[in-house]
Amino acid sequence: MEKIILLIPSIPIVIAFLLFFVRKKELVPKVSIMLSSMLALLALSGTYYVITNDTPIVGFGGLLIYNQLSAILVPYVAILGLVIRKYATKYMWDEAGYRRFFILLNFIFSSIYLLVMSNNLIVLALAWQLLSISLYLLVSFNVGSNTAVRHAKWVMFIHKGADLIFIFAIVLVYDTFGSFDLAILSEKWLAMSHNLVESPMIFAIGLLFLIAAMMKSAIMPFHIWLPYTSEAPTPVSAVMHAGVVNVGGILLNKLAYLLLLTPAVLNIAFVVGLVTAIVASVIMLTVSDIKRSLGYSTVGQMGYMIMEVGLGAFSLAIYHLIVHGIFKATLFLEAGGLIRMARHESNLPKRLSYELFWEEKIKRKTKKAFNYLAFFTILPILVFVGVKVVLTDDFFEFNASIIILAFAWLTGTQLFMSFFKVSKADSFKMIFALVSSFIIILFTYEFVGLTMEHFLYGNDAMLFYKAATLNVDIIMTLIMLAVIMIVGWLFMYRQHFVDVPKVGNRPGAFKWLLYSFLAKEGYFFSLIKFFKKDNA
Amino acid sequence: MMIYVVLLFLAGGLPYYILLENNKYLNSKQIFLLSGFLLICAIFLSLSLPDDHPDLLVMISFASAIFSIYKATKTTSFYKLGYYLIFVNAPFFILFQDRGIMYSISLLVSLTGLYLIAKFYEKNYGSANYGNITGITLVTPCVGTYLAFYLIALALYPPFPNSLFFLSYIFKSQHDLLSYVVVTTLFFGNFFLAMGVMKKTLFGRANPNIHYVHMTTKEKIIHFIVLIVLIVLSFFGLKETL
Repeated sequence: MEKIILLIPSIPIVIAFLLFFVRKKELVPKVSIMLSSMLALLALSGTYYVITNDTPIVGFGGLLIYNQLSAILVPYVAILGLVIRKYATKYMWDEAGYRRFFILLNFIFSSIYLLVMSNNLIVLALAWQLLSISLYLLVSFNVGSNTAVRHAKWVMFIHKGADLIFIFAIVLVYDTFGSFDLAILSEKWLAMSHNLVESPMIFAIGLLFLIAAMMKSAIMPFHIWLPYTSEAPTPVSAVMHAGVVNVGGILLNKLAYLLLLTPAVLNIAFVVGLVTAIVASVIMLTVSDIKRSLGYSTVGQMGYMIMEVGLGAFSLAIYHLIVHGIFKATLFLEAGGLIRMARHESNLPKRLSYELFWEEKIKRKTKKAFNYLAFFTILPILVFVGVKVVLTDDFFEFNASIIILAFAWLTGTQLFMSFFKVSKADSFKMIFALVSSFIIILFTYEFVGLTMEHFLYGNDAMLFYKAATLNVDIIMTLIMLAVIMIVGWLFMYRQHFVDVPKVGNRPGAFKWLLYSFLAKEGYFFSLIKFFKKDNA
Repeated sequence: MMIYVVLLFLAGGLPYYILLENNKYLNSKQIFLLSGFLLICAIFLSLSLPDDHPDLLVMISFASAIFSIYKATKTTSFYKLGYYLIFVNAPFFILFQDRGIMYSISLLVSLTGLYLIAKFYEKNYGSANYGNITGITLVTPCVGTYLAFYLIALALYPPFPNSLFFLSYIFKSQHDLLSYVVVTTLFFGNFFLAMGVMKKTLFGRANPNIHYVHMTTKEKIIHFIVLIVLIVLSFFGLKETL
C-alpha cells in the first residue's frame, strides 16, 4: 500500500493533463490546489512511514525510492508548491496564459519530485533534462517580452550544457562501475572508500557531476543565468530561487558516497563555493538593480551550499537549501504582493518585515526586547558550551565544522542587523545582536544540523567530514576562524555605522576601481556588448 | 564499403547538396518528402548491415551535418528546416545503424508533425515561411502547443522518444572520441535549431499585420494522432533506456 507514495512524480503530470480540459478559468487553480494538497498529504504520510519504519519505500523495479532524503525534501517541495499555487491564483489572474502557467508549474514540480525520488542515474538524467525544458518555458512565460525571452535563452544554454556534462558523467559511471542503480552504486562506493585508491577516472566523474551541479545551481562562473531572470512572474521567481537552484545540492547529496572517493573534488567544491559566496555577496551589495541584487543573493547562498558540500557537511547543505528556499520564496512572494498593492495605493506600502521587526519593536520599546533576547540566548549558551566541553571532544575534530560555524555566524549576524536595524550608535545592542546570532547558529547547527545528519547518513556522516577535511592543523584552523570572525565583525560594524556623515570623504582610486568592477558585475556584459558591436 | 556509401547517399543529404539544391523543378516541400523517403530507404537498408561503421563515412556525414546546421540557421521555411534536420542527424544514424533505427523513426514522426504545421502555414499564410508570424503562443495557442511539442522533441528533450532513444544509444554503446564529438555536436545542433524556431514563432509579440488563423477540428485531430504516436514511441524508448 505504501508503494502509492511512489506515484508522487506522476501526480502533477495528471493535474497538468486535467487542466488541458478545464474550460472555466476559476476552476484551473481550484483543481490544481486541491490535487496538490492531496499530493502534499501523500508526501507527509510517506515521510511518516519512513520515520516510523526506518526503511525506505522502493518500487518500479528499483527506479524510484522514497528514502530519508525524499522524506525531507518531497514534503518541503509539495508545501512550497501549494503556497506558490495559492499565491499565483490571484497574482496571475490578469496575465495572458493563466492555464498555461499552471500546466507548466505542474511540469516543473513533477521533474523536481522525480529528481529527488530517483534511484537510478538514467531516471535522474531524465528528470534533470525535464527540469531544464520546464524552466525554460516558465522563464519565458512572458512571451511578448524580448528581454524575458533573451534571458530565458541564457538559462537554456547553461542548462543544456549541464545536461550534456551530466550525461557524459553517467556514461563514465557505467563504464567504470557497471551499474546505473544508485543504491548498488552507493554500496559499492562506500565499500571502496575503506581502501581508498586515487583514480583519475573517479576524479573525472566526480568533477563532471560537480560542474553539472554548479551550472544548475548558478555557481560562478555559471551564475549569469540567475540574476537576470527576475522578469519572469513572481511565482516563477519563487520556484526558481526556492526550488530549481537547489537541484545541484540535491544531486551532490545523492552522489555523496561517490565524492567520498574523490576528496580533491570536495576540495574544489569548497574553493568554488567559497569564492562564489564571497564575490556574489559583494556584488549583491553593489549592483543598483534590486531584482539582480536578490539574484546575486541567491547565487551567494548557493555558494555557501556548495561550500558546505565541499566540507563534507552534506546534510547541512540540505538544511541550508530548505531554510534558504523558505526565506527567499517568502521574500519574492512578499515583493510581488507589495508591487500589486502599490498599483492600488498612491503611497508605496511599507515592507511587512519592516513593520514586523522594526515598527512593532519601537512601539514595545526595543531595548526591552533585546534584553529578553539576550537573556534567552546568553543563559543557554553557557549551559550548552559547558555540556559540550564536559561530554564530547569530537566537536572540533574536523575543521569543517569550525569553518561552517564561522560563515553561518557571519550570515546570521547580517540577517540580525538587517532585521533589527542595529547600528554602532547603540553598542550594547550591537554586541547582544552579534552574540545572539552566534548562539542561534550554534544551536541550529547542533540540534537541527546534526539531527538531520544522523537521519540522512547515520554514522557515515563522519566519513564525509574525514574525506573533506583539509590538512590544516587545529591551531591554524582556530587562527583562521579568529581572522574570519574579526574581519567579519569589523565589516558588519562598519557597514552599519550609519551616523557618520560621508560628505567630502572620497574613496581612493583603487577602491573606486574595485567598486566599479563589482557594480558592473565584472564587466561581463560590457564585454559581450563590445563583441556584438564589433561583429555588427 | 559500397553499401555504406549508398547509406550515406540516402541519409546524409548528398543528393540534395549535389543535385537538388539549385534544382528548379522540385520545390522545398517535394525535397522534404523526398528526403524523408530516402531516410526510410536507408532505415530498411541498414537492417541488412552488420553492426559496424567505417569511421571515414561517419566523418563525411559529420561534415555534412555541420554544414546542414549552418544552412538550417539561415532558413525560415519549415520545409527546408525539416530536410536539414534529417541531414543533421545522419551521422548518428550511421554511427549506430540498426540500433539507430528507432531514433530515426522518432525523428520522422516529429518531422511529420512539423510537415503538417508547414502545410497549415502554407494554407493559411501563403507559404511555409515562419519569419514574421511571431507570438503564436498567445494568439493561436493550439498551433503553439503542437509546434512546441514537435520542437521540444526535435531539441532532444524527454519525455519525447527522440531524446530517449538518443540517450539509450549513448548509455549502452562503446564510445570513442569520434562518437563523443558526434554526440556533442548533434546534442547541441538539434537544440540550437529547434530553439531558434521557438524564438521566432512561439515567442515575441503578435504581428499586427497578420491575420492569425486557428486550427480546424480535423487538423487538431491529425496533430493529436501524431502526438499519440510520439507518446507510444516514448514508452518504447523508456523501456529501452531503462
